[in-house]
Amino acid sequence: MTTRDDVEQMILRVGLGDRAAFSALYDATSAKLFGVCLRILNDRAEAEDALQDAFVRIWQKANTYAVNGYSPMTWLITLTRNLAIDKLRARKGGSVDIDEVHDLKDTGPTPEAAAVAASERSRLDGCLSELDADRAEAVRGAYLDGYSYDELATRFAVPLNTMRTWLRRSLIKLKECLS
Amino acid sequence: MASADDHNDDIALAGEYALHLMDADSRRAFQARLDAEPALRALILEWDEQLVPLAENFAPQTPPKTIKAQIEARLFPQAAKPGWSLWRLLAGSGLAAALAVVVLLTLPQDPTTAPFTPSLSAQIAAEDQSLIVLASFAPETGVLRIDRQAGAAIDGRVLELWLIADGAEAPVSLGVLPTEPQTDITLPATLIPAITGGTLAISDEPVGGSPTGVPTGDVLAVGAVVSL
Repeated sequence: MTTRDDVEQMILRVGLGDRAAFSALYDATSAKLFGVCLRILNDRAEAEDALQDAFVRIWQKANTYAVNGYSPMTWLITLTRNLAIDKLRARKGGSVDIDEVHDLKDTGPTPEAAAVAASERSRLDGCLSELDADRAEAVRGAYLDGYSYDELATRFAVPLNTMRTWLRRSLIKLKECLS
Repeated sequence: MASADDHNDDIALAGEYALHLMDADSRRAFQARLDAEPALRALILEWDEQLVPLAENFAPQTPPKTIKAQIEARLFPQAAKPGWSLWRLLAGSGLAAALAVVVLLTLPQDPTTAPFTPSLSAQIAAEDQSLIVLASFAPETGVLRIDRQAGAAIDGRVLELWLIADGAEAPVSLGVLPTEPQTDITLPATLIPAITGGTLAISDEPVGGSPTGVPTGDVLAVGAVVSL
């Protein structure tokens, strides 16, 4: 199985222009990153485009990886997720239809299992559970589905400014708990 | 108190940024601050690392096989399909050479067959003239008449004839040439339109022809198809 260190080495070598490392990095991480694109965009063709753009960006940006302080899967997932959300927001008249892709099958173990320590996971879960349930749900919706403030306000049936205030306060509270 | 509020503001802003909640204008304004404020960058990094356990909910899905090739073609265009680009280069130079010399064929008439009335031809020639094959084609019957005037396959190898249709990505095999210098090849109807504007080429292949369906040996001779 590909470990966190393996992925880190691959990214560092990609940063030096190593195409074989790029190919290996793709093989090791594309399923996870495609999962990110599919969930955010909920559209197969758009997700395929986003995955392509993500790996082009990874090739171009890998030389900045060593100094940016990110752990490898966080860097890959964050880059891909941001790119997918950019695409989502650029979509014309884009209202997001949920629940279509949520039953996708897991294709097996990924490096992320090693990258995310169980303690970090339970700490985040613990801190989210200290928030009001609907506010924790809003944070999850923003992260996993790329919801904007507008969409969150609609989904939770509150005015936009109320949602904004909710989330900012929740984020400050979450940060206190996590730090 | 003001500085604590400011710090909380930055924590919330960095969190909004990490979640990608800001609209495009706010996001750009926030990004403009990042170059000058390493503390803000550190806050975003913290958020990204602390939120990433949520990414476990992104169920992995194997992408279609074609995506990887498409990415590599975008990033490394000159490396994509090196065999074909070499082939196209050769085809291109052969085209120019053959356009300069239009050879009209006069082949011995075989009284047992219907009259052969070619309207297209090609001189498939090596640069050093070590291999010259004249081809003439009658679209009505699909007959491609081959007349090898110079050169031959080397011992233990064969000559294979290929058609590269105008704008095509890859050559199509028209078969291995026999040891006799003259032969007729009847093309399937689907290939007949591709001859016009196409290029013919001959490669050096193992006995039995290319095992892969694309030329594997040296491309020995090329020539463009022209109207008679």
